[in-house]
Amino acid sequence: MSTPTVQQARTKRLGSATDPLWYKDAIIYELHVRAFQDSNNDGIGDFPGLIEKLDYLQDLGVTCLWLLPFFPSPLRDDGYDISDYLTVHPNYGTLDDFKRFLQETHDRGMQVMIELVINHTSDQHPWFQRARRAPAGSPERDFYVWSDTDQKYKEARIIFTDTEKSNWTWDPVAQAYYWHRFFSHQPDLNYDNPLVMEEVLKILRYWLDMGVDALRLDAIPYIVEREGTNCENLPETHAAIKKIRAAMDEGYANRMILAEANQWPTDVRPYFGDGDECHMAFHFPLMPRIYMALRQEDRLPITEIMAQTPEIPENCQWGLFLRNHDELTLEMVTDDERDYMYLAYSADPRMRINIGIRRRLAPLVDNNRRRIELLNSILFSFPGTPIIYYGDEIGMGDNIYLGDRNGVRTPMQWTADRNAGFSRANPAQLYSPVIMDPVWGYQAINVEAQRSDASSLLNWMRNMIALRKLFPVFGRGTLKFLPSANRKVLSYLRQSDGQSVLCLANLSRFPQPVLLDLSEFEGMVPVEMLGYVEFPPITKAPYSLTLGAYEFLWFELQSALTSQDSDESGPENALIEIGNENDWHAILTGMNLEKLRSLVFPEFIARQRWFGGKAKQIRSVTVTDWAIFDEGRSAYLVTAVKYDSGEEESYFVPLTMVFGEVAEAVRTTREMAIVAPIRSASREGLLCDAFVSESASQALLDLIRTGGSVQSVSGTIRGIASSILPTILAAGEATPAAHPSLAEQSNSSIIFGGSMIMKCFRRHEPGPNPDTEISRFLTERTGFRSIAPFGGAIEYARNDEAPSTLAMLQGFVMNDGDGWKWTLEKLDGYYKFCANESNESEISRFIRDDYFPASAELGRVTAEMHRALASGKDNPDFAPETMQTQEVEELCKGLAEHAAHTLEMLKANLGLLPEDALELGGVVAGRRRRILGRLHSLMSIQSPITRTRIHGDYHLGQVLRIQAGFVVLDFEGEPARSLAERRKKQPPLKDVAGMLRSFSYAAWSALSRYVLQTHAENQQMEQWAKLWIRLVSDEFLKTYLAEMNCDSLLPKKDLNLVLDAYLLDKALYELGYELNNRPDWVRIPLMGIVSLLS
Amino acid sequence: MKEEQIHENEQAAAPVTSRATVLLGVTGTVDSAIVQPCLQEIGPVLNARVIVAAPNLAEATENDVHFRSYPLTAGRPENLPWVNASFAQRAICSLAAEVQADVCVLLHGDLILLNADVLPLFIQPVLEKRCDVVLPVYAAGKFDGLLNHGILAPLARALFGQRVRYPLPLDFSCSAEMCAKFTAPHPAHDPNADEILWPATIAAVAGKQVCQVNVDASHGRQTDGIELRTALASLVGSAFIEMEKYASFWQRIRGSRATPVTGHAVKQASESDGIDVKPLIDSFLLGARNLQEIWGPVLPPVTLFELKRLSRAPLEEFRMPDELWVRILYDFALAHRLRSISRSHLLGALTPLYLGWVASYVQEAANLSPFAAEQRLEQLARAYEENKPYLLRRWRWPDRFNP
Repeated sequence: MSTPTVQQARTKRLGSATDPLWYKDAIIYELHVRAFQDSNNDGIGDFPGLIEKLDYLQDLGVTCLWLLPFFPSPLRDDGYDISDYLTVHPNYGTLDDFKRFLQETHDRGMQVMIELVINHTSDQHPWFQRARRAPAGSPERDFYVWSDTDQKYKEARIIFTDTEKSNWTWDPVAQAYYWHRFFSHQPDLNYDNPLVMEEVLKILRYWLDMGVDALRLDAIPYIVEREGTNCENLPETHAAIKKIRAAMDEGYANRMILAEANQWPTDVRPYFGDGDECHMAFHFPLMPRIYMALRQEDRLPITEIMAQTPEIPENCQWGLFLRNHDELTLEMVTDDERDYMYLAYSADPRMRINIGIRRRLAPLVDNNRRRIELLNSILFSFPGTPIIYYGDEIGMGDNIYLGDRNGVRTPMQWTADRNAGFSRANPAQLYSPVIMDPVWGYQAINVEAQRSDASSLLNWMRNMIALRKLFPVFGRGTLKFLPSANRKVLSYLRQSDGQSVLCLANLSRFPQPVLLDLSEFEGMVPVEMLGYVEFPPITKAPYSLTLGAYEFLWFELQSALTSQDSDESGPENALIEIGNENDWHAILTGMNLEKLRSLVFPEFIARQRWFGGKAKQIRSVTVTDWAIFDEGRSAYLVTAVKYDSGEEESYFVPLTMVFGEVAEAVRTTREMAIVAPIRSASREGLLCDAFVSESASQALLDLIRTGGSVQSVSGTIRGIASSILPTILAAGEATPAAHPSLAEQSNSSIIFGGSMIMKCFRRHEPGPNPDTEISRFLTERTGFRSIAPFGGAIEYARNDEAPSTLAMLQGFVMNDGDGWKWTLEKLDGYYKFCANESNESEISRFIRDDYFPASAELGRVTAEMHRALASGKDNPDFAPETMQTQEVEELCKGLAEHAAHTLEMLKANLGLLPEDALELGGVVAGRRRRILGRLHSLMSIQSPITRTRIHGDYHLGQVLRIQAGFVVLDFEGEPARSLAERRKKQPPLKDVAGMLRSFSYAAWSALSRYVLQTHAENQQMEQWAKLWIRLVSDEFLKTYLAEMNCDSLLPKKDLNLVLDAYLLDKALYELGYELNNRPDWVRIPLMGIVSLLS
Repeated sequence: MKEEQIHENEQAAAPVTSRATVLLGVTGTVDSAIVQPCLQEIGPVLNARVIVAAPNLAEATENDVHFRSYPLTAGRPENLPWVNASFAQRAICSLAAEVQADVCVLLHGDLILLNADVLPLFIQPVLEKRCDVVLPVYAAGKFDGLLNHGILAPLARALFGQRVRYPLPLDFSCSAEMCAKFTAPHPAHDPNADEILWPATIAAVAGKQVCQVNVDASHGRQTDGIELRTALASLVGSAFIEMEKYASFWQRIRGSRATPVTGHAVKQASESDGIDVKPLIDSFLLGARNLQEIWGPVLPPVTLFELKRLSRAPLEEFRMPDELWVRILYDFALAHRLRSISRSHLLGALTPLYLGWVASYVQEAANLSPFAAEQRLEQLARAYEENKPYLLRRWRWPDRFNP
């Protein structure tokens, strides 16, 4: 009798994959045709039904469908007992249905993997039926493994321990025992018979010819038996697999073999061969350890098994899974681990089968969504190809009351309709009952409901699959665990082709911190992948992260975006290109404007002396309004400076274009004024600060002189002349030349000839500028003449905002320099004197002779100024007012808040202080309570406090030394304060405190300079500095008080209390100012504060 | 706009590999008598074997130039012009592989680039292995090619990191390697979408060098006689499909780089006629009233709010900020990928938004010089780049619950 053999298929179809390594990037979806969708209402799923659901699978994003056995079978082992390898079980359709399914799947860009169950067949297979009747020793008989006794291969373990007592079963027909590693109705094929391999290869070719993309070799470790071994993983087994692989490679491109070898990783490794056996193999031992790690909240089970996992050939891949159609196998764990897993995950013994747990993913983790997501995040990010079991994408439940492993093989839950939308058959007819309890039942968990729920697990899985597919590093990259002290956090790096992805998984039900050594990636920026959120850059220091309960994070490690990335590098990229010269439209629109906004202006403004936001990081500078002047050569610009944090600020930045020689001159002498190089069609020049330009400066003067106006894009710029401007103009040249003042100032100034000075207020705020307002008042409304006369102003009004002052013109006062510089010179002489004198009386006399007249004069001028400022009794902006109790409270509160803010700034910048200020900084920072206490003591004063308009920023730099007297300047107030604050009426003692602090500032500043120059002994000189401060301050105060002559402007009692509070406030203000602008000077206010407190 | 310029004296000096094969493929029918004189001029310079191919061209050899036809089976008269051009381009590239051409030059049937000054600029960089694909920079007025300047070019730039002015040119040249890539089969192609060839995109994904050539010529409006909705659906739909196809590539691209440009800078074309924006704004307003059913699920609340405000703006103040327009485009791209709405309805609903952008741009650019208008478009292109993180966030995690 001839051996019935397989007819050779005659046509060959291609698989649908074009990349030989497609399986590395695949997302495999395991399903049973029987369980998926019933199209003919017989209660059993079929191929036509599956075809109906292909769109769902495509939409989910999976790329390869793994079908459990669909061949003819008695179905005593759910189809793994095959009775015909070459067709389709009638329950599931026809061979043509399968071919149509294959085509439809390929048309959707997906691959198909089927089972090649070649370890055993059903006992109903014609081969076995023939074999049992064939004579012993014949080729037909030897298709299977026979023995006269059941004593052979004693060392082979029993796999289905629940049902089988032996791997041998007696066949009464054959009168012999036959070998079976699984159920007794599944006799094992005999691979020592070459005919068996021949037939297997024909079966393989049959399906591959049809276009099937991949084959899963079921139970492959067991196909060969040898006496004296455990009959698993034998060399002959691998030889057999190599033959299968060779046959596949010979005739078919881009196909794949997946080995089901439930073995330890080192024992699975041989199934890859040298890249010439199986392409893929399941990583069985990892799967239970993922659950173990979750339950124990410890990454060790995972890291340990991965440490035992050997390298595999480049063209090979692990298959990773959380669950499948079988029990959660606990074969590849220790006995203790098995016991733990039973206790942890299968409290009810009914949940256990063979050596495993027969539950689905969601019930295993108590239906906790976060745990489900966490485990899937590991599945999708670990090295290997993820395999999703059907139904786990919607969190299907199971039925432990069904026999065998059928509880995890129930119908797919599509809708809340009858039979979960799986079938329209009578429910009793279904191949398996649907899950119908209140928690897991199809009414609660189904595809239709989850599709319409944006927050469902289904949508989450779809998004995760899509995200994984965007990053080939997950499928192809290396794995490196990152150690950290906290074992509840699993951290690992995936790298490939220059891409690095950092993954973290918190295995704990509570939030967890983790510190990682990422120093090898110093300078790189972790970008969270799901939301594309940038995290702080990596430094050499340990990188700290916090993860919420069961949280996972995936980070792309990106290099910081350099200017190279967007071709922004080099000075050329600051170049402003225009067609025609003076084409301000070209500069202030389009790419040029964008360049100014993001690149040029932030850099220019940050380095200007007048810019007050140096402590903050500029994000961008936007032009909010502009107008052309100076016959088109210049433009007024009003800009909005945006910071990384804090309110935006407005700055006035008039610009001009200069070319040729003028540009060269600016380049040589006024480099700080350069905004950007500029190129017109014909030549190159510079865009720079308008004050370098004579014509621009003259244009500004003309605007005031004529009272003219200019329309800007959003407002009006207007010149205002004072009543005495003609007098001022007449005192000077007819056409005074303009040149910018080079003095270090918070604003910019232009000097016209020798007769006028125009101050440009850089920081722009709507509302009256106090300098202009006060100068004008004092000039035009009082007899106080110790000021620079007010000549006029340039105002800017936009839309419905209050007008603001852009510039102020004043008559120039001939002087010997400002009070500060003059005092420093005096102090220089003083310290020289002190260096040769140790007698305190002599030194005191020197002070009296040298500086007392000036000090007294200052006191007198200050008093006169205060009386003048308080003289506008009919003018609400200038009339003096008595502070109410509540206002005093608010004053205290304001001083205390300012103090607290400054102390916080000090604390934040302690590390940046110069060395000589570090100790003082620490002392001051530590005396917060005392400082606040001193300020709060204002609350206790008895006498009323009067407030008036004051100078606001009174110090030696704000006065000019003239002949034997002083002229007061700059009524703008403290630069860091808002306009409203600077216009506020305040007690005149605030100015007094300012001047007193200034004496202190001058003394210490001069001493620093003197010591630096002469290397004099610091400690002794400090003593003389303190003496000078005390005597000069006393003289100033004495004269001031005498001039004020018990005026009601000063508190009758508690004068010292008020003065002390303001002195402390002033010192703190200085501290804040220096921290922002001149960190090297910070020691001076720190000494002042310490001195005041002591 | 800063673009690297290759010094002109370098162009003439470089010698050409002897007897290289240059295939000049024309995407429309052509008379060899028109082609021949131009080839006579440039032939000696190239020192190459030249093959000219066009549909239905009789096979002949004249003065060392070989003429032949190529089969054009997929193109149909009812197709849109750029679709037919793509079919023809692929056919020409297939022919280039067949004849083993070293350079393949693809010219539109109007042959405006067939002149001795320009053609070498397309051929030599490829022969000298300086470039793999050479694309033209056409002359254009400030209101020309707005579909390209407003969507296709800046979108391609932000995604693929190359500053290419015309990513969908009707003429270009390429190397043999690129010909093979252009003709590779497309797996899982959307049967409802036009198969348009995007040479710049394919070159970027393949990591190949792209160059550009200034050409003082223009093909005129390819969308004349075609309903805007149809043109938009075809071109933008195709761009969205390319986006989906190459998502794992452009996800990792940050910023953009200039591509080298040769040839004399194009004189800015002056505009003879203004554009009446009222009908454009009316279309936008009509869309705002009638398309909320589609706009609503596609656009986030903050965008819908901005559009509502915009619909209330007086005509002369109608301005669509760059960021708004770019985010609208990105949200439409995402909706196109998610297939939450029929793609044809989706792209139709984009049309009034596009017209709104056009109206806004026209009003802004009306008083700008051509140079300033160009810079205005550069600003838009940067907005596409700056808002790429917005696209990435939404692409990676599509979630309707966003601002």
